[in-house]
Amino acid sequence: MACGCDDCETMMQPYLDGVLSDEEVREAREHLSRCPGCDRRYRFEEDLRRFVRVAAEEPMPDELRERLVGLRSAQGGVQPPAV
Amino acid sequence: MSETAPTAAETRRIAEVARDRVRFEEEALELSDQVYRVARRLVASREEAEDLVQETYARAFRSWHQYRPGTNLRAWLLRILTNLNIDRGRRKQRTPDTQPLEEGDYFLYNKLESALGNENPNEERVIERLSQNAVVEALAEVPHVFRDVVVLVDIGEFSYAEAAQILDIPVGTVMSRLHRGRRVLKQILAEKAVTS
Repeated sequence: MACGCDDCETMMQPYLDGVLSDEEVREAREHLSRCPGCDRRYRFEEDLRRFVRVAAEEPMPDELRERLVGLRSAQGGVQPPAV
Repeated sequence: MSETAPTAAETRRIAEVARDRVRFEEEALELSDQVYRVARRLVASREEAEDLVQETYARAFRSWHQYRPGTNLRAWLLRILTNLNIDRGRRKQRTPDTQPLEEGDYFLYNKLESALGNENPNEERVIERLSQNAVVEALAEVPHVFRDVVVLVDIGEFSYAEAAQILDIPVGTVMSRLHRGRRVLKQILAEKAVTS
């Protein structure tokens, strides 16, 4: 590993997930400010999560939407409630 | 008490139940895009995802009275969907859930960085090495037990507590599977990015 920082690697996911204690967050920030290698890897992880979410996106086919609507009990018989 | 009074009350009650049911169905349908988004990445093919979503809604509409109004409908629908998916997986014995060899959290970045061949690149240049296809394929290769959690949290944007409720596992298990699942995903991505 470029910066030789095992602890920082282990802390990355809990840090980004916001589940560390205040003390641990302070330690992690302290380290990141001194270690550009870890800092880049943390930012990359955030970018990656966004990238995965967007890449996984696939719109629902209209034809499926129609089939789901067809499964309703009402199906045009009962008026939907006026909200 | 006259004889017509209970009949009128009964009629009113039936109408109320019908209204509640229609409202439930409308609310469930409004969530269908989000349900499909998760389903599409839980299973390998579009056909399977469509079948799964349709089966989920058929079951949800049949058991609508089991839903408690005011609770999390999105999680309730996903609970049905993941249960159906797990049943199917058992029947079909699809991907064997072998324990993958596991690299650390920096593995993907280190691989991509060395493939770029320059020291300390901007992390935006590093992520450009990945394609949408690689992500989709890699997700499909993550073993089921990890993929379910990664898809619910990182793609479906469910909280840990919701994912725990949906999969009927403790929150701690959600977290450990999520962390391992993301590492597995990155490892598969690293192999794809470097070989392609």
